[in-house]
Amino acid sequence: MKKRLVAFLLAAVMVLSLTACGDKGTSENTDNDSKQEQTVTKPATDNKKNEEEKVTLRMAWWGSQTRHDRTVQVIEMYEKAHPNVKIEYEFFSFDDYFTKLKTLVASDNVWDVFQLGGNFPDYMEKIYFLNDFIKDGTIDTKKISDAYLKITQDTAGNQIGLSNGLNTYGIAYDVDMFKAAGVPLPTDTWTWDDYADAARKIKAATGHYGTSSFTSSEFNAGCSTYIGQQGSLGQYGFFNLELTGMGFTDPQMLAPYIQMRADLIKEGASPDAGAELEITNIENDFLVTGEAGMTWVAVNQFPTIYDVCEKQGRTLALATLPRVTKDGNAGSNIQSSQMLCVSKDSKHKKEAAEFISWFQNSTECNNVLQGERGIPINEDVRTALIANATAGQKIMYDYVTLVGTFPTPEKVNVLSPAGQDQVVDLYRTYIQQVVSGEITAAEAAKLTYEAAEKLFK
Amino acid sequence: MGYGMTDQRKTANRIRKFFNNDNTVGYVFAMPFILGFLGFSLIPMITSFVYSFTDMTFGAKDIHFIGLENFKELFHDSIFLKSLRVTFKYVIISVPLKLTFALLVAFLLTRKSKMVTLYRSLYYIPSLVGGSVAVALVWKQIFARKGLFNVVWKQIFGAEAAVNWFGDEKLAMYPLILMSVWQFGSSMIIFAAGLKEIPESYYEAAMIDGANGFQRFFKITLPCLSPIVLYNLIMQTISAFMVFTQAQIITEGKPNNATMMYALYVYNNAIKYSKMGYACAMSWVMLVIMSLVTFVIFKTSRKWVFSEADS
Repeated sequence: MKKRLVAFLLAAVMVLSLTACGDKGTSENTDNDSKQEQTVTKPATDNKKNEEEKVTLRMAWWGSQTRHDRTVQVIEMYEKAHPNVKIEYEFFSFDDYFTKLKTLVASDNVWDVFQLGGNFPDYMEKIYFLNDFIKDGTIDTKKISDAYLKITQDTAGNQIGLSNGLNTYGIAYDVDMFKAAGVPLPTDTWTWDDYADAARKIKAATGHYGTSSFTSSEFNAGCSTYIGQQGSLGQYGFFNLELTGMGFTDPQMLAPYIQMRADLIKEGASPDAGAELEITNIENDFLVTGEAGMTWVAVNQFPTIYDVCEKQGRTLALATLPRVTKDGNAGSNIQSSQMLCVSKDSKHKKEAAEFISWFQNSTECNNVLQGERGIPINEDVRTALIANATAGQKIMYDYVTLVGTFPTPEKVNVLSPAGQDQVVDLYRTYIQQVVSGEITAAEAAKLTYEAAEKLFK
Repeated sequence: MGYGMTDQRKTANRIRKFFNNDNTVGYVFAMPFILGFLGFSLIPMITSFVYSFTDMTFGAKDIHFIGLENFKELFHDSIFLKSLRVTFKYVIISVPLKLTFALLVAFLLTRKSKMVTLYRSLYYIPSLVGGSVAVALVWKQIFARKGLFNVVWKQIFGAEAAVNWFGDEKLAMYPLILMSVWQFGSSMIIFAAGLKEIPESYYEAAMIDGANGFQRFFKITLPCLSPIVLYNLIMQTISAFMVFTQAQIITEGKPNNATMMYALYVYNNAIKYSKMGYACAMSWVMLVIMSLVTFVIFKTSRKWVFSEADS
């Protein structure tokens, strides 16, 4: 008995000494932190010293392979120009990015520079506002218009991040497939009926899906837009402007859209839940693989898929989102695709802000990035890029200009409330249930509305 | 001075004794496991129990104690109820199939032949690559609309016969079950070891009495093997309840949540929807359910597990 006790004590001592070592390590670290923070907060007094000091920034983003390659290249350029800065980068797919981000939020260890989209309200407590950096000139905004700064501000006017680019949703389509099916090409004012009709005819003529279902864009570009298109300009939105509740009251406003989606799936003009699983990112969307006539895109994705299809000898074009009625609201908004933010956990906030400023403002940098994250918000950069645009990029620029001419309400809400992912999953499940005949479209509309409403309770 | 020497020697002796003590050595060697168990099992389990009574959100800092709210909400959650049904269906179909298959193969491989070891290793390979993501991805390809299965199937039965495995609610589960049955290796090895333990003399006696193959299998092999069947049944049932990889990688729970396994729904709530408190509550409900099922299996086992001591 005694022996066992002794052995256990020994084990306990070992464990304790291990944790003690750990403690020592962290306390040393925090000492370092406070020192570094001191030097950061006193840049005026020992500026030179600061420049010599090695700074390591951690950065992360999500996206496609094209984005990864280009961003890595840009980071290497920055490191060369700023030998004292070392950037450790990580990149992920969309879902994995947010899983990782949540873990880092929980451990107070978020990357110095990180990418966020319309779902930023979820991460508010980790975002370091850029207000002061813009005021003191660390971030150069001379060539960025106020309107474009505003797209990444919260309702109180705090600068959440600096937008990576302008973006809007559209429908990418295969011109030849439309012609083969004898469907007139989409006009700027085509309707959802025209859209469904085109999808059915393409299915009948070619045997391929009329429209693909790129899952991440459909809810925002389709379901949510459909609400904004009804009523007078700015009367409805899926969520209200303050993001505190729903922006419409009659769930049945959703029903016709849900019915159309379900019908197209049932008729084989749109992929069912099983086929949808085969689409893992925009680069293997059915439009790109030649198995569908149309797909939803955030337009920054368009040049990439345009180039891929061009190599296969196919021509893609961009159509506006269909409307509820020909003379009704367009429902499309120019918005920020994503932005780069500085995290509150960062020990080098100033250096992080400097990098962001360079990332958005340097023509040299954006010549590599090629507007893959959206159309740059800096005027000079934009002009430089448009001057050398490829065919696919040209279509994207023209399209954004076109959507910019549509009348839009003074205020729009393009943000996603915390927890929207679950609503979108439920919404998709309800559509599957309409397809299998388990519930009606009217019931699905009601259930979707209730699920969304629950977010605010 | 002499006093000091003996004292020193005494302590040195004591220390040496202590380090050579079996218990000390044992604990030191077990330390990696003990640390791992504390760090990755026990402490997380305790925290998850505490979180299950809170509204903890993954990625946010403030936590509120909300009592039994999470548990109450569970029973109004239609996807939770569906995930229970789906998981039970999976367990009830996949476990017996897997065990039958494992036993059959183990039985066929009891012959005294040099090739047996080779065959056993071959059959064990699927279990080695086991729950890996890579196999799940391959499986997804095989049963896709234009996958290997449909290519072959269409060759045989014509283009109309294509099976839409993952698009059809009624079918989506079966490729997942097939994948689990395919990984029968570990149960097979245990069965094979059990079969070796059955004395040859029983069979010889039965043969002299004129028992045929079937009789020998059902009257001798199965009863003698029943304790091992029980062990395999419990282990496989528990692991089947925890099925995750296939559902997450191949079907993501679709279509219409027909493959929304319990563990996947826990994961979705915890990671995707950030509802960590709710997910913790779900895991504890899962623990209770699994204990109940195991308990029932143990209780009924008295009726069908044969132990030589009893007879």
